[in-house]
Amino acid sequence: MDTGELLVITMGLPLLGAVLLAGLARRGRTAVRSGALVITLLTLVLALVIAWRFPGDGVVDDGWGVSTVAWLGTQSPWDIQLSVGLDGLGLWLFVLSALLMFTAVLVSWESITHDEGLFYAMLLLLECGCLGVFAARDVILFYVFFEFTLIPLFFLIGIWGSEQRQYAARKFFVYTLAGSVLTFLSLLAIVVWDAQQSGRMTFSIPALTSSLQLQPIRPLAWQLLVFWGLFAGFAIKVPLFPLHTWLPLAHVQAPTAGSVFLAGILLKIGTYGFVRFNLAMLPEASAICMPLMLSLAVAGVLYGALVSLAQQDIKRLIAYSSVSHLGYCMLGLFALNSAGLQGATLQMVNHGISTGALFALVGMLYERYHTREIRELGGLARRLPWLAFFLVVFTFSSIGLPGLNGFAGELLILLGIFQRAWGSGSAVAATSLQVIAVLAVLGVVLGAWYMLWMVQRVLFGPLREPSAVAGHAVHDLTRREIVALAPLAVLVVWIGVQPGYFLQRMAPTLDRVVVVAQDALQQGPVDPRATLGGGATAEQLVRR
Amino acid sequence: MNDWIRLLMWLVPALPLAAAVTVAALGPRVLRGASHWPVLIALATSCLASLLLLGHVRQQPVGFERVESYWTWAAVGAAGAAPQDAEPGVPDALHPRGDLVVDIALRLDTLTSVMLTMVTFISFLVAVYSVGYMRGDRGYWRFFAYIALFVFSMTMLVSVSNFVLLFVFWEAVGVCSYLLIGFWYQKPAAAAAGKKAFLVNRVGDFGFMLGVFLIWTTYGSMNYHDVPRPAATAVVFDAAASAGQTDAAAVQPGVLGAERIRAQAYVGGGTGFAICMLLLLGACGKSAQFPLHVWLPDAMEGPTPVSALIHAATMVTAGVYMVARCTPLFGASPEAQMVVAAVGTFTALLAGLIALTQFDLKRVLAYSTVSQLGFMFLGLGTGTLAGITGGMFHLVTHAFFKALLFLSAGSVMHAMGNVIDMRQFSGLRKLMPYTFATFLIGSLALAGIAPLSGFWSKDAILAAVHGKAHVLEEALDARHELLASGEAKAFRTVAWMADAPAVHAAPDVLAAWSEVQLERGARLYGLLYYTAVFVAFLTSVYTFRMLYLTFYGPLRVPAAAGDHAHESPRVMVVPLVILAVGAALAGLWMDRSYLNGTHPFAQLLEATPSLTGAVAGTEALGAFHFGPAATSTAVALAGIALASGLYLAAGGSARREAVGGSIWYRLSYGKFYLDEVYDMLVVRPLAGLAWLWARADDAVVDGLVDTVGRLPLVLGRVLRSLQTGLVQFYALAMVVGGLLLLLLSDPELTGRMWTWLGGVWSSGVRP
Repeated sequence: MDTGELLVITMGLPLLGAVLLAGLARRGRTAVRSGALVITLLTLVLALVIAWRFPGDGVVDDGWGVSTVAWLGTQSPWDIQLSVGLDGLGLWLFVLSALLMFTAVLVSWESITHDEGLFYAMLLLLECGCLGVFAARDVILFYVFFEFTLIPLFFLIGIWGSEQRQYAARKFFVYTLAGSVLTFLSLLAIVVWDAQQSGRMTFSIPALTSSLQLQPIRPLAWQLLVFWGLFAGFAIKVPLFPLHTWLPLAHVQAPTAGSVFLAGILLKIGTYGFVRFNLAMLPEASAICMPLMLSLAVAGVLYGALVSLAQQDIKRLIAYSSVSHLGYCMLGLFALNSAGLQGATLQMVNHGISTGALFALVGMLYERYHTREIRELGGLARRLPWLAFFLVVFTFSSIGLPGLNGFAGELLILLGIFQRAWGSGSAVAATSLQVIAVLAVLGVVLGAWYMLWMVQRVLFGPLREPSAVAGHAVHDLTRREIVALAPLAVLVVWIGVQPGYFLQRMAPTLDRVVVVAQDALQQGPVDPRATLGGGATAEQLVRR
Repeated sequence: MNDWIRLLMWLVPALPLAAAVTVAALGPRVLRGASHWPVLIALATSCLASLLLLGHVRQQPVGFERVESYWTWAAVGAAGAAPQDAEPGVPDALHPRGDLVVDIALRLDTLTSVMLTMVTFISFLVAVYSVGYMRGDRGYWRFFAYIALFVFSMTMLVSVSNFVLLFVFWEAVGVCSYLLIGFWYQKPAAAAAGKKAFLVNRVGDFGFMLGVFLIWTTYGSMNYHDVPRPAATAVVFDAAASAGQTDAAAVQPGVLGAERIRAQAYVGGGTGFAICMLLLLGACGKSAQFPLHVWLPDAMEGPTPVSALIHAATMVTAGVYMVARCTPLFGASPEAQMVVAAVGTFTALLAGLIALTQFDLKRVLAYSTVSQLGFMFLGLGTGTLAGITGGMFHLVTHAFFKALLFLSAGSVMHAMGNVIDMRQFSGLRKLMPYTFATFLIGSLALAGIAPLSGFWSKDAILAAVHGKAHVLEEALDARHELLASGEAKAFRTVAWMADAPAVHAAPDVLAAWSEVQLERGARLYGLLYYTAVFVAFLTSVYTFRMLYLTFYGPLRVPAAAGDHAHESPRVMVVPLVILAVGAALAGLWMDRSYLNGTHPFAQLLEATPSLTGAVAGTEALGAFHFGPAATSTAVALAGIALASGLYLAAGGSARREAVGGSIWYRLSYGKFYLDEVYDMLVVRPLAGLAWLWARADDAVVDGLVDTVGRLPLVLGRVLRSLQTGLVQFYALAMVVGGLLLLLLSDPELTGRMWTWLGGVWSSGVRP
């Protein structure tokens, strides 16, 4: 089968499944969840086939497995297309979405006890949205999927969440929506600018990218404005410090499957957007904002780590650790070189795997003890050896232990930022960049601290269980739970031992972005007087 | 032949890994009590393979290295890396380049094969001993799986040929120690000790990582060895960079590769010093040097064989190995070498003082390890061939006698029902004759009594430091003479050494030293020599103190031992005997200076590529130095005499009491309160900060967001109150609005309005 068709089928399957499940809802719980499992499994298999077919050297130019339908018909002056395809940036996130949904269905198996039909339908809709975001090749299509992911998650948190679920759902929804409105305006601004320059209106992402690289948005102030507009939506999604406060709340209140997918995939939409639009389409603005973005990123790294250190709730702790880890992703992206960008993209996948799995594990703990308070638990390694094993593996993965996946990403990111700070030669920013680089390494030490402390208190030492459960026999992981976690554990080791396999498939796509960013950097600050007329320097613009 | 070598090279680490996987898979269900067999077989075979490799390496020429690549871990092109400006005097090929290629590759040279042999041999013996020691433990299979994993990590650590992979296994060793120290995880102290070891090491790793990154930004490579530069992977994206590289040599020079060593293309100055200091910080973490030594004594919470393994063969030797491996980097920075030597000596002194007063038998041994590692760093810090090979020599002999001492202590602990406090037992000499004999041999070796192994290696270090101080003084004198004879300008070149007895053809390292450096160096190494001699004295005092407290005096056995206090089973005694033979004779065998002025061990090590650079021109081991030997023997005997007087002779206890109350005693007993200081300066402030920030995140950052979020709501409420539903109000609003619009649309009217408003305002305010 043609890969393009395969791609469309892969994305359509969850959508179809959602409708199907709504019909199955009356047949009872077993039918619904089995149906959901079969559909996610099929989707996963298809996604793996796609990954298998992806060219090994990663050279795909403007996209691969492209499938396009003109949305408004071919005669319309608005050339909006239903166009999907993959490249090195989206490939692994696409596959990860399919994989994590499989995990999400399995961890919801017993824990969801009402409205199962609707629940699994929402999950599948969420999957469809995420697959779509990473495959969309059209600005409008991207934005539709981008917004579409909010709706199922809003319901997932609001209906199946914990006590404060409605407040959390509302906050999550309003917060992210507020940002994405500005993002939408910026996307439109890009399209309009391009239409003015070239005389044809296109919404195609590859076309816009190459066109904007040839004819960047002028005046520079406009480009910066568009950059910050895009920033508003993406940075909240990431979330970049200090726009992160919706995240711990949403995570704590969300059902386990929601947390898994939120941390695993939805946050990556933000970083993905930064690469796809900010870096690729607005290289000059990205180069100018680089120091500021790096500062925010490293602030997030340290801030997230320190706040994690003080958490009592395991889920909140992992949520804050996400703030820290996504800070690393942003650091890598705005290092604007190969090592950084590849490391960041790999780290997006890594974080999805390890944090997704950690949230799943917390859910499993909660199902057994009905608490997530660290102080109420202790010495569980003896009671739950399998759970302990997986918790240790994913903790090690999360803190970037060499030999596991987290290390490969972190190392490349840090190499990238060191290369930027020491190798770029521009003496002006060098010192502050060097400080950022050193602080980023410091974050690695702190990261080990809070995760290990949590693991030590929960798993080791004398046995401590909440009194309500203490008498009952608490069983170790079931086969279903092990099946949910095992593929992730395999990936943790595989990426750790052979990251090259994953990197070489994304490298060519990312290098195209790097080359453009590099040119923008080497050009130095574009003479702003010519473009702005106001005599303001580029750096002053950043401060504004 | 070559294929055999390639096979052996990967078998050495692969076998322990295979054993670890086998035991982990089959241990809990199938193997159970027989879980040690795969591990023992693997370690024995690895040890044999290492010996074969050692035999192969011995026949190779000086500077021999062999690197076998297996697969590419990651390859990132140089797009985005700007080439740095050319540095004058450095061949073009040695300039940093951006592309990062990390191959999973193993290397073979003398340093590696010496380490491999030592690690696998000691680990094998420890594993055999553990069969007896760990019998009946719930986690029997888990223990052997961890041990095998530990040995795998350590063999890889010394075999890899790349700084990234060095870091990978550096961390892997740390994790294995975390798992092993916290092996009895139900014991809160054990779990805490495991975490402490990991975190303190993580601080060291922070430095190490920074150092590796600086190496990367400075040298543009992470490999030790030179790599043939494949044309295909040359950068395609960075046209500017590739254009500049067309005339580059066919190899990409590694950081410690032959190309670079030959050209002496090492960066000194601030960057060189920074790199060395950061690497040293990493080494301090792993090898328990001040200020990161605090984890090692706590690591005693693990099972005793683990202590033996960590202290003698693996883990702690990693730092020493790494510094020895990076000799050319340290060679470029004399100050860095001095810091290494000073840190080593200070640690040796500090740990020696603490060891004097501890009552936990294993803790005394732990501080003794810290102290002996300090000696090794002192040796490395001399930066001479004699010092570096001497430090490595001490590493090997120490592995024998410290493993011996730990396992003997474990034997005592085993018999005493897990009691290890020396105040609760004494006079075990009769009860445990084998253990006593082996412990005695270990003690004599540790104290440095001829002809046991510790004597030769400690002596080699002392002689090297003494020699270094001497050479520096001579160089200083020579320079002064030169100045006096009016040839002031000449001393920047090597010429000033021309009329000095030039023994070596290699470039002289001291030529680059400034006069101030020479003067400081001479004074420092002189001071370090005397301090080290004093530490040697302390060593024999605390060694014999623990020997006397444990094995002499009236026979006392703690209640915990019950009535089964006895000699250990044969499976534990046999490794002890083998180690005892090694501890006794290894020095005599490896150092033949007393016979014919040769030092086979040092000669073997000198062939390591890292030691063929400028350092090859310095003094080497070989000649027997009577002065330092006599001094160290004298102080060791004096130490034994003091310990005998205090702990053996009648009335010793009264003299002890007199010392017991002093502030020095309390400082030593409290380990100079460093744990408390760290807790106060680092742990608590950080926890406080974390707590504060967590509150602030809820209250300030999130509060701000909520406030912004409430704005539309407030606005809505304000607007809602206007919707009164009264038609008259709407009509009024319309008129007012229209008037306002009219006003605002005409600038003149607006201006008049403002004047009017101003008038109303001022008239209202006036009294």
